[in-house]
Amino acid sequence: MSVTSPATSAPVASSRFQGRGALLGAGLVILALLPLLTGASPYMLGLLISALILSGLALSWALLGNLGGMVSFGHAAFFGVGSYASALLAAKLGVPVLLAIPLGGVVATLSSIAMLPALRLSGPYFALAILAYAQIFRILATELDWLTGGAAGLQRYPGLPTLFGIDLADRAGSYVVVLACVVLFAVVYVLLRKSHVGTALRAIAESEDATRVVGVNATLLKSWMLFLSAFIAGVFGALNAHIIGFLEPDYAFSGVWSVMPIIAAVFGGYRSVLGPIFGAVVIYLFDQVIAKSLIPVGHQILLGIVLAIMVLLAPNGLAGLVRRFFTKGQFNKTSEKSHAGA
Amino acid sequence: MVRKMIASATLAIALTAGATGAKAQDAGKPEAQTFTIGAHMPLTGTLARSGQAFNEGMQVAVKMCNAISPKYQVKIDLIDDESTPAKAVSAVEKLAADGSVAIIGGYGSNIIGPASDASDKLGKVYITAGAVSDELTKRGLKTFFRINNNAGYERGIATLIGDLKPQKVSIIASTKEAPALLAEGLEKDLEAKGIKVTVHKFDPAITDFKPIINKIKLQDKPDIIMMSAYENDYVGIIRAAKVLKPNVKLMVGTWSLATPKMYTEFPDLMNNVVGTSFLPFPVEVKSEEGKKFAEVYKQTYNKDIEYLSTLSFVETMVLCEAIFRAAEDGSLEKGGLAEQMRKTDRDSLLGRIQFDATGDNPNFSLSMGQHRDGKIVLVSPKSAANGEVVYPGLPW
Repeated sequence: MSVTSPATSAPVASSRFQGRGALLGAGLVILALLPLLTGASPYMLGLLISALILSGLALSWALLGNLGGMVSFGHAAFFGVGSYASALLAAKLGVPVLLAIPLGGVVATLSSIAMLPALRLSGPYFALAILAYAQIFRILATELDWLTGGAAGLQRYPGLPTLFGIDLADRAGSYVVVLACVVLFAVVYVLLRKSHVGTALRAIAESEDATRVVGVNATLLKSWMLFLSAFIAGVFGALNAHIIGFLEPDYAFSGVWSVMPIIAAVFGGYRSVLGPIFGAVVIYLFDQVIAKSLIPVGHQILLGIVLAIMVLLAPNGLAGLVRRFFTKGQFNKTSEKSHAGA
Repeated sequence: MVRKMIASATLAIALTAGATGAKAQDAGKPEAQTFTIGAHMPLTGTLARSGQAFNEGMQVAVKMCNAISPKYQVKIDLIDDESTPAKAVSAVEKLAADGSVAIIGGYGSNIIGPASDASDKLGKVYITAGAVSDELTKRGLKTFFRINNNAGYERGIATLIGDLKPQKVSIIASTKEAPALLAEGLEKDLEAKGIKVTVHKFDPAITDFKPIINKIKLQDKPDIIMMSAYENDYVGIIRAAKVLKPNVKLMVGTWSLATPKMYTEFPDLMNNVVGTSFLPFPVEVKSEEGKKFAEVYKQTYNKDIEYLSTLSFVETMVLCEAIFRAAEDGSLEKGGLAEQMRKTDRDSLLGRIQFDATGDNPNFSLSMGQHRDGKIVLVSPKSAANGEVVYPGLPW
C-alpha cells in the first residue's frame, strides 16, 4: 500500500487539473472551428458571430459580477462607447480598424472612470447607478451630432480589413476574429481567477468587509475589474460596429446589450468562465434557429419558457448542470471502486 | 336496380373521362415559373404594426401581379427581423440561401443599412420603402433601390408652409433618425424662404409635451407648429397644445398623421390638423391600378388602403415587373435584375417612379392632407389638391 502525502498530492492534482483544462480548452476551440471546416453557410456563420459577440459581452458582465461582486444593468454603456470610439477613430482619423478595435476598448475603459463614484454603492444601488450612466451616454451620443452624426448615426466607416490575403469582412473571417477575441478574454479571465488577485476578488464578492479587515484594498481591485470589464465590453462593441457597418445611439446603447448578457450569463452559469460563453451561444442559436422555425412570429415566448425552466431546475445554469453530471459520474466510479475493493 | 347501376357506372366513367381530359388539358398548358421574393419586416415589437401594414401591401401586390401574369408567378418568403440589424442581416442571408431572387427591406435606416449591405455582397437586388436616410444612397451600392426619401417629405411640407407664408414656424422634432433628418432639412428650406424657424428637439421617451408647448407659446410665438415625429408623439403634442392653447394658426405633422385611423381614435384632437398624404379620404383613386388595389385590399383585409401598405404595394409591383422583364430576357439568373430595376419608369399611387444612379426615386413627393370632420382633404400642392386649406384652422 502506498500513501501519498497531501503536500505532494496537491501539485499533482493541480497539474492534472491544468492538463485537463488545457485539453478541454483545445477541444472547445476545435469545436468552435468546426463550422468553418464543415463549410457552414454565411447565414449560420452570421448567427454564430452574433452569438459570440453576445458571449464576449456576457463574459465581461460575469467577470464584474463574479470577481468584483458588482451586478451591472448598464453594460450597454461600455458596448456603445467602444463601438462609437472605434468607428470614429477609423472613419475620422484613419486609424487602422484592427488598432481602432482595442482603442475602442480603451475609450470604454476611460469612460468607466466616470462610474468610479458608483463603486461606493453595492447591490441594486450600483446596478441602478450604472443603468443611469448608460442612459447618459446614449443621450450624449444623440446630442453630440457634430461628432457622432446624432440620431442619424454613422454609416460610412471602414469594416474589418483584409489581412495576409484573408478578407476579415467576409463571414468566415469575421467569425475567426470574434472567436479569437472570445478565447483570448476567456484565457485572461481564467488566469486572473487563478491568481492571488482573483482569490482576493472572489473573497470581496463574498464579503467585502471581511477582506478589508485582512488588508485587501477592495476599492482598488473593484476599480480594476470595472476597467477590465469595460475594456472587454468595448472591444466587442467595436467588433460589432465594424461587422454590422451601422451605428446609431438607440442601437449602440440599446437596453438589449445590458439585458441579454445577464440572461446569457445566468443561463450558462455566471460563476464559471465557460458558462456565460456557452449560455450566450445556446440561447441565441436556440432562439434564432429552433424557436424561430417553430414559431416564426413571437418565438421569444419559447426562449422565455426555456429560461424559466432553467432558472427553476438549474439555478447554477448550464455549467452547474454539467458539473453535477460529471460529479455524479465520478461519485459512481468511486463507489464502484470501493465496492470492488471491498 | 340494374338501371341504377348502369347510371352510376356511366356517371363514374364520365367523371373519370372528365378528370383525365382536364389533366391532359393542364399538361398541355405550360407551367408558370415561380420566383421567390424574400422580405424582412418587423413583425414583433414596437414596430410590429408598421411591419404588418407593409406585409399587407406586399401580399396584395403579389396577388395582382400573379393574376395578370400566366407565364411567371411570384411568392413572398417573409422573416421577422425583430427590428434588429444583426437579425435583419441574418434574414437576408437566409433568404438568399433559400433562393430568393430579390429582397424587400423592412423599416428604419438602422435596419436597412446593414441589411442592404449584406444583400449587395450576395448580389441580390434590395428595395425598400421604409428608410429615408440620405446616407443610404451615398454608399454607391449597385443593387439598392428605394421609392421614397427624406427629400420627398421635405418638399411636400415645405411647399404647403411656403404657400401659407407664415412669419415664424416652430418645429418640434423627435431625436429619432428620420424625424431629426426631416427637421434639419425643413429648417434649411424654410429659412431659405425667409421664414424664422425654431427647432425644439425631444427625446422619444418624453410623453409630456407641455413644457415645450409652453416655451413655444411664450417665447417663439409662431404662426405654425410643425411636428416631425411619430403617432404617439403627435397625440401628446396636440393634447398639450389643446390645454395651453398657444396663439398659432395651424398644426402640421408628417407621416402617419393624416390617416382615417388617427381621426377614428382621436377625433377631438385631429380636426384641421395637416399631415403628409397621397390620397384623400374617403378614398378617391383615379388610376385603374389604384382602384384594383383598393378593391383587392378591401376584399382581403376588409378595410380601406392605408399609407404604409400603399408604399409597400408600389415597391412590390415595381419589383415584380422588373423580375418578369428580367426573366423574359433571360438575365434574371445572370444579375440582370438591377439593370431592369433601373429601367423602371411608371406611374403609381405615389406618382412617377424612376431610379437614379444611386437607386433613389428623384420624383418622390407627397401631398398634404387636412383632417376635416372625419374626411381628409388634399390641400397641397395645388396640382393634387381637392380642396382649400382651412387656415387658420385648429383642433381646439
